[in-house]
Amino acid sequence: MKRRKRKETGGIGSLEGVITFFGSHHALRAESVLKKKGFKAVLIPGPREISPNCGVALRFDYTAKEDVINIFNEYFVHYEDIHHYPEK
Amino acid sequence: MKLYYFDNAATSWPKPDSVIRAMEHFFHRIGGNPGRSGHIKAIEAGKVVLNTRELLASMFNIKDPSRIVFTKNATEALNTTLYGVLREGDHAVTTSMEHNSVMRPFNHLKEMGVDLSVARADQTGTVHVDAIKDRIKENTKLVAVIHASNVTGTINDIEKIGRLCKQRNILFLVDAAQTAGVVPIDVDRMNIDFLAFSGHKGLLGPQGTGGLFIRHEKALDPMTRGGTGSLSDKEEQPVFLPDRYESGTLNVIGLAGLGEGVKFILNHGVESIMKHDSRLLDIFLNEVQGDSRFALYGPCGGPGQTGVLSVNIRDISSSKAGDILNRKYGILTRIGLHCAPRAHGSIGTFPDGTVRFSWGYFTKEKDIIKASRALKEIAGTN
Repeated sequence: MKRRKRKETGGIGSLEGVITFFGSHHALRAESVLKKKGFKAVLIPGPREISPNCGVALRFDYTAKEDVINIFNEYFVHYEDIHHYPEK
Repeated sequence: MKLYYFDNAATSWPKPDSVIRAMEHFFHRIGGNPGRSGHIKAIEAGKVVLNTRELLASMFNIKDPSRIVFTKNATEALNTTLYGVLREGDHAVTTSMEHNSVMRPFNHLKEMGVDLSVARADQTGTVHVDAIKDRIKENTKLVAVIHASNVTGTINDIEKIGRLCKQRNILFLVDAAQTAGVVPIDVDRMNIDFLAFSGHKGLLGPQGTGGLFIRHEKALDPMTRGGTGSLSDKEEQPVFLPDRYESGTLNVIGLAGLGEGVKFILNHGVESIMKHDSRLLDIFLNEVQGDSRFALYGPCGGPGQTGVLSVNIRDISSSKAGDILNRKYGILTRIGLHCAPRAHGSIGTFPDGTVRFSWGYFTKEKDIIKASRALKEIAGTN
Protein backbone atom coordinates (compact mmCIF):
# COMPACT_ATOMS: atom_id res chain seq x y z
CA MET A 1 0.00 0.00 0.00
CA LYS A 2 2.80 2.44 0.94
CA ARG A 3 4.71 1.69 -2.26
CA ARG A 4 1.69 2.42 -4.41
CA LYS A 5 1.10 5.74 -2.70
CA ARG A 6 4.67 6.87 -3.34
CA LYS A 7 4.38 5.90 -6.98
CA GLU A 8 1.17 7.88 -7.43
CA THR A 9 2.32 11.02 -5.71
CA GLY A 10 5.67 10.82 -7.54
CA GLY A 11 4.10 11.42 -10.95
CA ILE A 12 1.45 13.90 -9.95
CA GLY A 13 3.57 17.08 -10.20
CA SER A 14 3.55 17.06 -14.01
CA LEU A 15 -0.23 16.69 -14.14
CA GLU A 16 -1.40 20.27 -14.33
CA GLY A 17 -5.05 19.66 -15.19
CA VAL A 18 -7.94 18.90 -12.86
CA ILE A 19 -11.31 17.58 -14.03
CA THR A 20 -14.29 18.04 -11.75
CA PHE A 21 -17.43 15.92 -11.84
CA PHE A 22 -21.00 16.19 -10.58
CA GLY A 23 -21.08 12.60 -9.31
CA SER A 24 -18.50 10.06 -8.20
CA HIS A 25 -19.56 7.38 -10.72
CA HIS A 26 -18.28 9.57 -13.53
CA ALA A 27 -15.04 10.46 -11.72
CA LEU A 28 -14.19 6.82 -11.14
CA ARG A 29 -15.18 5.78 -14.64
CA ALA A 30 -13.11 8.65 -16.05
CA GLU A 31 -10.03 7.39 -14.21
CA SER A 32 -10.68 3.83 -15.35
CA VAL A 33 -11.15 4.64 -19.06
CA LEU A 34 -8.21 7.08 -19.21
CA LYS A 35 -5.87 4.51 -17.66
CA LYS A 36 -7.19 1.89 -20.08
CA LYS A 37 -6.29 4.25 -22.93
CA GLY A 38 -2.77 4.77 -21.56
CA PHE A 39 -3.22 8.23 -20.02
CA LYS A 40 -1.98 9.20 -16.58
CA ALA A 41 -4.88 9.96 -14.26
CA VAL A 42 -4.94 10.29 -10.47
CA LEU A 43 -8.06 10.63 -8.33
CA ILE A 44 -7.70 13.38 -5.74
CA PRO A 45 -10.03 14.89 -3.14
CA GLY A 46 -11.91 17.59 -5.06
CA PRO A 47 -10.42 21.08 -4.37
CA ARG A 48 -13.23 23.10 -2.74
CA GLU A 49 -12.14 26.30 -4.47
CA ILE A 50 -12.93 24.97 -7.95
CA SER A 51 -16.00 22.80 -7.28
CA PRO A 52 -18.54 22.13 -4.55
CA ASN A 53 -19.40 18.80 -6.14
CA CYS A 54 -18.60 15.19 -5.42
CA GLY A 55 -15.74 14.18 -3.19
CA VAL A 56 -13.29 13.26 -5.93
CA ALA A 57 -11.68 15.04 -8.88
CA LEU A 58 -9.17 13.77 -11.43
CA ARG A 59 -5.69 15.11 -11.96
CA PHE A 60 -4.45 14.60 -15.53
CA ASP A 61 -1.99 15.85 -18.14
CA TYR A 62 -3.56 19.14 -19.29
CA THR A 63 -1.82 18.99 -22.66
CA ALA A 64 -3.96 15.94 -23.51
CA LYS A 65 -7.20 17.86 -22.94
CA GLU A 66 -8.66 17.34 -26.44
CA ASP A 67 -8.01 13.59 -26.41
CA VAL A 68 -9.50 13.32 -22.96
CA ILE A 69 -12.71 15.07 -24.02
CA ASN A 70 -13.04 12.71 -26.99
CA ILE A 71 -12.57 9.67 -24.76
CA PHE A 72 -15.17 10.97 -22.32
CA ASN A 73 -17.68 11.39 -25.13
CA GLU A 74 -16.98 7.90 -26.39
CA TYR A 75 -17.44 6.33 -22.94
CA PHE A 76 -20.40 8.41 -21.70
CA VAL A 77 -18.38 10.11 -18.97
CA HIS A 78 -20.05 13.35 -17.88
CA TYR A 79 -17.77 15.95 -16.31
CA GLU A 80 -18.45 19.32 -14.77
CA ASP A 81 -15.39 21.28 -15.91
CA ILE A 82 -11.73 21.03 -16.91
CA HIS A 83 -9.33 23.34 -15.10
CA HIS A 84 -5.69 24.28 -15.54
CA TYR A 85 -4.76 23.89 -11.91
CA PRO A 86 -1.07 23.17 -11.21
CA GLU A 87 -0.22 21.82 -7.77
CA LYS A 88 0.85 24.55 -5.42
CA MET B 1 -30.25 -36.23 4.77
CA LYS B 2 -28.77 -34.85 1.58
CA LEU B 3 -30.69 -31.84 0.33
CA TYR B 4 -31.58 -31.13 -3.29
CA TYR B 5 -32.17 -27.45 -3.89
CA PHE B 6 -34.90 -26.87 -6.47
CA ASP B 7 -35.90 -23.33 -5.55
CA ASN B 8 -33.52 -21.28 -7.71
CA ALA B 9 -36.42 -19.22 -9.08
CA ALA B 10 -36.87 -17.82 -5.56
CA THR B 11 -33.15 -17.35 -4.95
CA SER B 12 -30.18 -19.18 -6.42
CA TRP B 13 -28.10 -21.48 -4.26
CA PRO B 14 -25.25 -22.23 -3.96
CA LYS B 15 -23.29 -19.15 -5.02
CA PRO B 16 -19.82 -19.26 -6.62
CA ASP B 17 -17.03 -19.11 -4.00
CA SER B 18 -15.75 -15.94 -5.66
CA VAL B 19 -18.99 -14.16 -4.65
CA ILE B 20 -18.45 -14.99 -0.99
CA ARG B 21 -14.73 -14.12 -1.15
CA ALA B 22 -15.46 -10.69 -2.69
CA MET B 23 -17.90 -9.92 0.11
CA GLU B 24 -15.40 -11.01 2.76
CA HIS B 25 -12.73 -8.92 1.08
CA PHE B 26 -14.98 -5.88 1.13
CA PHE B 27 -15.69 -6.26 4.84
CA HIS B 28 -12.08 -7.04 5.79
CA ARG B 29 -10.20 -4.66 3.54
CA ILE B 30 -12.41 -1.95 2.00
CA GLY B 31 -15.47 -0.94 3.99
CA GLY B 32 -15.79 2.70 2.84
CA ASN B 33 -18.87 4.57 1.63
CA PRO B 34 -18.73 5.24 -2.13
CA GLY B 35 -19.11 8.81 -3.33
CA ARG B 36 -19.01 10.27 0.17
CA SER B 37 -15.38 11.26 0.34
CA GLY B 38 -12.10 11.42 -1.52
CA HIS B 39 -10.17 9.09 0.82
CA ILE B 40 -8.84 5.78 -0.32
CA LYS B 41 -11.54 3.60 1.27
CA ALA B 42 -14.34 5.68 -0.24
CA ILE B 43 -12.65 5.46 -3.64
CA GLU B 44 -12.06 1.70 -3.36
CA ALA B 45 -15.72 1.20 -2.40
CA GLY B 46 -16.72 3.37 -5.38
CA LYS B 47 -14.62 1.17 -7.65
CA VAL B 48 -16.43 -1.93 -6.41
CA VAL B 49 -19.77 -0.35 -7.38
CA LEU B 50 -18.41 0.88 -10.74
CA ASN B 51 -17.02 -2.56 -11.55
CA THR B 52 -20.38 -4.24 -10.91
CA ARG B 53 -22.19 -1.59 -12.96
CA GLU B 54 -19.79 -2.05 -15.89
CA LEU B 55 -20.07 -5.84 -15.80
CA LEU B 56 -23.88 -5.65 -15.85
CA ALA B 57 -23.73 -3.11 -18.68
CA SER B 58 -21.66 -5.51 -20.74
CA MET B 59 -24.09 -8.37 -19.99
CA PHE B 60 -27.17 -6.42 -21.18
CA ASN B 61 -25.42 -4.46 -23.98
CA ILE B 62 -25.85 -1.13 -22.19
CA LYS B 63 -23.34 1.35 -23.57
CA ASP B 64 -23.52 3.84 -20.69
CA PRO B 65 -23.21 1.99 -17.34
CA SER B 66 -24.55 5.03 -15.43
CA ARG B 67 -27.95 4.07 -16.86
CA ILE B 68 -28.01 1.13 -14.44
CA VAL B 69 -29.14 2.09 -10.94
CA PHE B 70 -29.04 -0.29 -8.01
CA THR B 71 -32.05 -1.25 -5.93
CA LYS B 72 -32.59 -3.77 -3.16
CA ASN B 73 -34.36 -6.20 -5.50
CA ALA B 74 -36.35 -6.45 -8.73
CA THR B 75 -39.55 -5.47 -6.91
CA GLU B 76 -38.09 -2.09 -5.96
CA ALA B 77 -36.91 -1.56 -9.54
CA LEU B 78 -40.39 -2.38 -10.89
CA ASN B 79 -42.07 -0.10 -8.34
CA THR B 80 -39.63 2.70 -9.19
CA THR B 81 -40.65 2.45 -12.84
CA LEU B 82 -44.40 2.09 -12.38
CA TYR B 83 -44.73 4.89 -9.82
CA GLY B 84 -42.14 7.04 -11.58
CA VAL B 85 -43.77 6.90 -15.02
CA LEU B 86 -47.53 6.61 -14.55
CA ARG B 87 -49.86 9.45 -13.59
CA GLU B 88 -53.63 9.84 -13.26
CA GLY B 89 -55.25 9.54 -16.68
CA ASP B 90 -52.45 7.43 -18.18
CA HIS B 91 -53.15 4.01 -19.61
CA ALA B 92 -50.87 0.98 -19.25
CA VAL B 93 -50.89 -2.56 -20.60
CA THR B 94 -49.58 -5.58 -18.75
CA THR B 95 -50.05 -9.34 -18.92
CA SER B 96 -51.81 -12.04 -16.97
CA MET B 97 -48.44 -13.73 -16.24
CA GLU B 98 -47.11 -10.92 -14.06
CA HIS B 99 -45.85 -11.46 -10.55
CA ASN B 100 -47.40 -9.51 -7.67
CA SER B 101 -44.33 -7.25 -7.80
CA VAL B 102 -46.08 -5.71 -10.83
CA MET B 103 -49.75 -6.55 -10.14
CA ARG B 104 -49.89 -5.04 -6.66
CA PRO B 105 -48.40 -1.66 -7.63
CA PHE B 106 -50.68 -1.62 -10.69
CA ASN B 107 -53.77 -2.26 -8.56
CA HIS B 108 -52.74 0.57 -6.26
CA LEU B 109 -52.11 2.84 -9.26
CA LYS B 110 -55.61 2.01 -10.51
CA GLU B 111 -56.98 3.50 -7.30
CA MET B 112 -54.97 6.60 -8.14
CA GLY B 113 -56.63 6.96 -11.56
CA VAL B 114 -54.33 4.95 -13.84
CA ASP B 115 -56.21 2.90 -16.43
CA LEU B 116 -54.90 -0.68 -16.82
CA SER B 117 -55.53 -3.39 -19.40
CA VAL B 118 -54.31 -6.94 -18.93
CA ALA B 119 -53.36 -9.07 -21.96
CA ARG B 120 -54.17 -12.70 -21.24
CA ALA B 121 -51.59 -15.39 -21.86
CA ASP B 122 -52.44 -18.73 -23.44
CA GLN B 123 -52.45 -21.95 -21.41
CA THR B 124 -48.70 -22.44 -21.78
CA GLY B 125 -48.14 -19.04 -20.18
CA THR B 126 -47.13 -17.41 -23.46
CA VAL B 127 -48.18 -13.80 -24.05
CA HIS B 128 -48.72 -13.18 -27.76
CA VAL B 129 -47.82 -9.81 -29.22
CA ASP B 130 -51.30 -9.46 -30.74
CA ALA B 131 -52.89 -9.74 -27.29
CA ILE B 132 -50.87 -6.69 -26.27
CA LYS B 133 -51.49 -4.86 -29.55
CA ASP B 134 -55.26 -5.27 -29.11
CA ARG B 135 -55.16 -3.52 -25.75
CA ILE B 136 -53.14 -0.47 -26.73
CA LYS B 137 -55.13 2.79 -26.58
CA GLU B 138 -54.40 6.36 -27.63
CA ASN B 139 -53.17 7.28 -24.15
CA THR B 140 -51.12 4.12 -23.50
CA LYS B 141 -47.92 5.28 -21.89
CA LEU B 142 -46.33 2.04 -20.74
CA VAL B 143 -46.32 -1.67 -21.53
CA ALA B 144 -44.99 -3.91 -18.72
CA VAL B 145 -44.15 -7.53 -19.55
CA ILE B 146 -42.51 -10.34 -17.62
CA HIS B 147 -39.59 -11.79 -19.63
CA ALA B 148 -40.11 -15.29 -18.24
CA SER B 149 -42.78 -16.54 -15.88
CA ASN B 150 -41.72 -17.55 -12.39
CA VAL B 151 -44.56 -20.10 -12.42
CA THR B 152 -44.00 -21.91 -15.73
CA GLY B 153 -40.64 -20.64 -16.99
CA THR B 154 -42.33 -19.56 -20.24
CA ILE B 155 -40.10 -17.05 -22.06
CA ASN B 156 -41.96 -14.28 -23.84
CA ASP B 157 -40.89 -12.85 -27.19
CA ILE B 158 -39.61 -9.57 -25.77
CA GLU B 159 -38.02 -8.51 -29.05
CA LYS B 160 -41.36 -8.62 -30.88
CA ILE B 161 -43.17 -6.75 -28.10
CA GLY B 162 -40.33 -4.21 -27.91
CA ARG B 163 -40.63 -3.54 -31.64
CA LEU B 164 -44.38 -2.93 -31.26
CA CYS B 165 -43.76 -0.49 -28.39
CA LYS B 166 -41.15 1.37 -30.39
CA GLN B 167 -43.47 1.68 -33.40
CA ARG B 168 -46.25 3.05 -31.19
CA ASN B 169 -43.90 5.28 -29.16
CA ILE B 170 -44.83 3.56 -25.88
CA LEU B 171 -42.40 3.03 -23.00
CA PHE B 172 -41.49 -0.63 -22.49
CA LEU B 173 -40.74 -2.13 -19.07
CA VAL B 174 -39.36 -5.67 -18.86
CA ASP B 175 -39.34 -7.69 -15.64
CA ALA B 176 -36.17 -9.77 -15.97
CA ALA B 177 -36.26 -11.21 -12.43
CA GLN B 178 -36.30 -14.75 -13.85
CA THR B 179 -34.08 -14.22 -16.88
CA ALA B 180 -31.12 -11.95 -16.07
CA GLY B 181 -28.07 -14.21 -16.22
CA VAL B 182 -29.88 -17.21 -17.73
CA VAL B 183 -31.44 -15.83 -20.93
CA PRO B 184 -29.56 -13.40 -23.23
CA ILE B 185 -30.82 -9.82 -22.93
CA ASP B 186 -29.88 -6.94 -25.23
CA VAL B 187 -31.66 -3.70 -24.30
CA ASP B 188 -31.06 -2.15 -27.73
CA ARG B 189 -32.04 -5.09 -29.89
CA MET B 190 -35.14 -5.67 -27.71
CA ASN B 191 -36.02 -1.93 -27.51
CA ILE B 192 -36.25 -2.08 -23.73
CA ASP B 193 -36.73 1.29 -22.02
CA PHE B 194 -36.68 -0.02 -18.45
CA LEU B 195 -35.15 -3.36 -17.43
CA ALA B 196 -35.76 -4.47 -13.84
CA PHE B 197 -33.55 -7.31 -12.62
CA SER B 198 -32.82 -9.25 -9.48
CA GLY B 199 -29.22 -9.74 -8.31
CA HIS B 200 -29.70 -12.89 -6.25
CA LYS B 201 -31.33 -15.23 -8.76
CA GLY B 202 -29.77 -15.97 -12.15
CA LEU B 203 -27.01 -13.40 -11.57
CA LEU B 204 -25.77 -15.46 -8.58
CA GLY B 205 -25.27 -12.49 -6.28
CA PRO B 206 -26.44 -12.12 -2.67
CA GLN B 207 -29.96 -11.23 -1.55
CA GLY B 208 -30.64 -7.52 -1.19
CA THR B 209 -29.28 -6.70 -4.64
CA GLY B 210 -31.12 -5.76 -7.80
CA GLY B 211 -31.24 -2.97 -10.32
CA LEU B 212 -32.94 -1.04 -13.04
CA PHE B 213 -31.73 0.01 -16.49
CA ILE B 214 -33.17 3.42 -17.39
CA ARG B 215 -33.21 4.64 -20.98
CA HIS B 216 -35.33 7.73 -20.41
CA GLU B 217 -34.64 9.43 -17.09
CA LYS B 218 -36.77 12.42 -18.06
CA ALA B 219 -39.81 10.14 -18.08
CA LEU B 220 -39.04 8.75 -14.64
CA ASP B 221 -39.45 10.52 -11.32
CA PRO B 222 -37.32 9.06 -8.53
CA MET B 223 -39.17 7.15 -5.82
CA THR B 224 -36.68 8.08 -3.10
CA ARG B 225 -34.81 11.32 -2.59
CA GLY B 226 -31.90 12.05 -0.26
CA GLY B 227 -28.15 12.15 0.14
CA THR B 228 -26.08 11.07 -2.83
CA GLY B 229 -22.64 12.46 -1.99
CA SER B 230 -22.98 14.74 -5.03
CA LEU B 231 -24.21 18.38 -5.17
CA SER B 232 -23.88 18.57 -1.39
CA ASP B 233 -24.42 22.34 -1.50
CA LYS B 234 -27.95 21.87 -2.90
CA GLU B 235 -31.15 20.71 -1.21
CA GLU B 236 -32.67 19.51 -4.49
CA GLN B 237 -32.27 16.01 -5.90
CA PRO B 238 -29.59 15.68 -8.62
CA VAL B 239 -31.04 15.15 -12.12
CA PHE B 240 -28.15 13.05 -13.48
CA LEU B 241 -27.69 9.29 -13.48
CA PRO B 242 -27.09 7.23 -11.43
CA ASP B 243 -27.35 9.63 -8.46
CA ARG B 244 -30.94 10.70 -9.23
CA TYR B 245 -32.16 7.22 -8.26
CA GLU B 246 -29.55 6.17 -5.69
CA SER B 247 -30.21 8.11 -2.49
CA GLY B 248 -28.69 6.83 0.71
CA THR B 249 -25.82 4.38 1.10
CA LEU B 250 -25.89 1.47 -1.33
CA ASN B 251 -25.58 -2.20 -0.38
CA VAL B 252 -21.91 -2.10 -1.38
CA ILE B 253 -20.98 -5.42 0.21
CA GLY B 254 -23.85 -7.01 -1.72
CA LEU B 255 -22.73 -5.34 -4.93
CA ALA B 256 -19.20 -6.65 -4.35
CA GLY B 257 -20.70 -10.14 -4.40
CA LEU B 258 -23.01 -9.40 -7.32
CA GLY B 259 -20.07 -8.24 -9.45
CA GLU B 260 -18.39 -11.61 -8.98
CA GLY B 261 -21.64 -13.43 -9.79
CA VAL B 262 -21.92 -11.51 -13.06
CA LYS B 263 -18.25 -12.15 -13.83
CA PHE B 264 -18.79 -15.88 -13.25
CA ILE B 265 -21.69 -15.88 -15.72
CA LEU B 266 -19.83 -13.82 -18.34
CA ASN B 267 -16.91 -16.26 -18.10
CA HIS B 268 -19.20 -19.23 -18.70
CA GLY B 269 -21.51 -17.44 -21.15
CA VAL B 270 -25.24 -16.78 -20.71
CA GLU B 271 -25.96 -18.95 -23.77
CA SER B 272 -24.16 -21.95 -22.31
CA ILE B 273 -25.96 -21.55 -18.96
CA MET B 274 -29.26 -21.42 -20.85
CA LYS B 275 -28.30 -24.59 -22.71
CA HIS B 276 -27.45 -26.31 -19.43
CA ASP B 277 -30.85 -25.39 -17.95
CA SER B 278 -32.60 -26.45 -21.14
CA ARG B 279 -30.80 -29.82 -21.21
CA LEU B 280 -31.89 -30.52 -17.63
CA LEU B 281 -35.47 -29.63 -18.60
CA ASP B 282 -35.35 -32.17 -21.42
CA ILE B 283 -34.09 -34.83 -19.01
CA PHE B 284 -36.85 -34.01 -16.52
CA LEU B 285 -39.52 -34.05 -19.23
CA ASN B 286 -38.20 -37.33 -20.59
CA GLU B 287 -38.85 -38.88 -17.16
CA VAL B 288 -42.34 -37.52 -16.51
CA GLN B 289 -43.95 -36.46 -19.80
CA GLY B 290 -46.70 -38.76 -21.09
CA ASP B 291 -47.29 -40.23 -17.61
CA SER B 292 -50.98 -39.72 -16.89
CA ARG B 293 -50.31 -39.43 -13.16
CA PHE B 294 -48.79 -36.00 -13.72
CA ALA B 295 -50.05 -32.68 -15.02
CA LEU B 296 -47.21 -30.55 -16.45
CA TYR B 297 -47.51 -26.83 -17.12
CA GLY B 298 -45.78 -24.38 -19.44
CA PRO B 299 -44.45 -24.95 -22.97
CA CYS B 300 -42.77 -28.19 -21.80
CA GLY B 301 -39.69 -28.19 -23.94
CA GLY B 302 -37.79 -26.22 -26.52
CA PRO B 303 -35.82 -23.05 -26.04
CA GLY B 304 -38.82 -21.04 -24.81
CA GLN B 305 -38.54 -22.13 -21.18
CA THR B 306 -36.15 -21.35 -18.33
CA GLY B 307 -35.01 -23.89 -15.74
CA VAL B 308 -38.48 -24.10 -14.22
CA LEU B 309 -41.04 -26.90 -14.31
CA SER B 310 -44.43 -26.66 -12.60
CA VAL B 311 -46.03 -30.03 -11.90
CA ASN B 312 -49.03 -31.52 -10.14
CA ILE B 313 -49.53 -35.13 -9.15
CA ARG B 314 -53.10 -36.24 -9.85
CA ASP B 315 -55.24 -36.30 -6.70
CA ILE B 316 -52.49 -34.97 -4.42
CA SER B 317 -52.48 -31.29 -3.45
CA SER B 318 -49.38 -29.28 -4.27
CA SER B 319 -48.83 -28.58 -0.60
CA LYS B 320 -48.96 -32.25 0.34
CA ALA B 321 -46.63 -33.24 -2.51
CA GLY B 322 -44.21 -30.45 -1.58
CA ASP B 323 -44.24 -31.53 2.03
CA ILE B 324 -43.43 -35.17 1.15
CA LEU B 325 -40.66 -34.05 -1.23
CA ASN B 326 -39.16 -31.93 1.51
CA ARG B 327 -39.45 -34.32 4.44
CA LYS B 328 -38.98 -37.73 2.83
CA TYR B 329 -36.59 -36.89 -0.01
CA GLY B 330 -34.85 -33.65 0.98
CA ILE B 331 -36.07 -32.10 -2.28
CA LEU B 332 -36.75 -28.41 -1.76
CA THR B 333 -39.39 -26.97 -4.09
CA ARG B 334 -41.86 -24.15 -3.92
CA ILE B 335 -45.53 -24.99 -3.83
CA GLY B 336 -48.73 -22.97 -4.13
CA LEU B 337 -49.33 -19.81 -6.14
CA HIS B 338 -45.81 -18.31 -6.32
CA CYS B 339 -47.04 -14.71 -5.74
CA ALA B 340 -48.68 -14.82 -9.16
CA PRO B 341 -52.39 -15.69 -8.77
CA ARG B 342 -53.40 -14.47 -12.22
CA ALA B 343 -50.62 -16.48 -13.88
CA HIS B 344 -52.05 -19.59 -12.22
CA GLY B 345 -55.45 -18.48 -13.52
CA SER B 346 -54.02 -18.41 -17.05
CA ILE B 347 -52.66 -21.96 -16.88
CA GLY B 348 -55.72 -23.31 -15.04
CA THR B 349 -54.17 -23.97 -11.62
CA PHE B 350 -55.84 -21.27 -9.51
CA PRO B 351 -56.41 -21.55 -6.56
CA ASP B 352 -54.73 -24.93 -6.02
CA GLY B 353 -51.30 -23.99 -7.35
CA THR B 354 -48.48 -26.27 -8.45
CA VAL B 355 -45.24 -27.83 -7.25
CA ARG B 356 -42.49 -25.77 -8.86
CA PHE B 357 -39.05 -27.23 -9.51
CA SER B 358 -36.46 -24.61 -10.45
CA TRP B 359 -32.82 -25.41 -11.09
CA GLY B 360 -29.66 -23.57 -12.04
CA TYR B 361 -26.03 -23.75 -13.08
CA PHE B 362 -25.00 -25.94 -10.12
CA THR B 363 -27.82 -28.48 -10.56
CA LYS B 364 -26.66 -31.85 -11.89
CA GLU B 365 -28.36 -34.36 -14.14
CA LYS B 366 -28.50 -36.85 -11.27
CA ASP B 367 -30.40 -34.31 -9.15
CA ILE B 368 -33.07 -34.10 -11.86
CA ILE B 369 -33.32 -37.89 -12.00
CA LYS B 370 -33.66 -37.98 -8.22
CA ALA B 371 -36.48 -35.41 -8.36
CA SER B 372 -38.40 -37.17 -11.12
CA ARG B 373 -38.08 -40.57 -9.43
CA ALA B 374 -39.34 -39.09 -6.16
CA LEU B 375 -42.37 -37.69 -7.99
CA LYS B 376 -43.08 -41.15 -9.43
CA GLU B 377 -42.79 -42.80 -6.05
CA ILE B 378 -45.17 -40.31 -4.49
CA ALA B 379 -47.63 -40.77 -7.36
CA GLY B 380 -47.30 -44.56 -7.11
CA THR B 381 -48.02 -44.82 -3.43
CA ASN B 382 -51.05 -42.56 -3.60
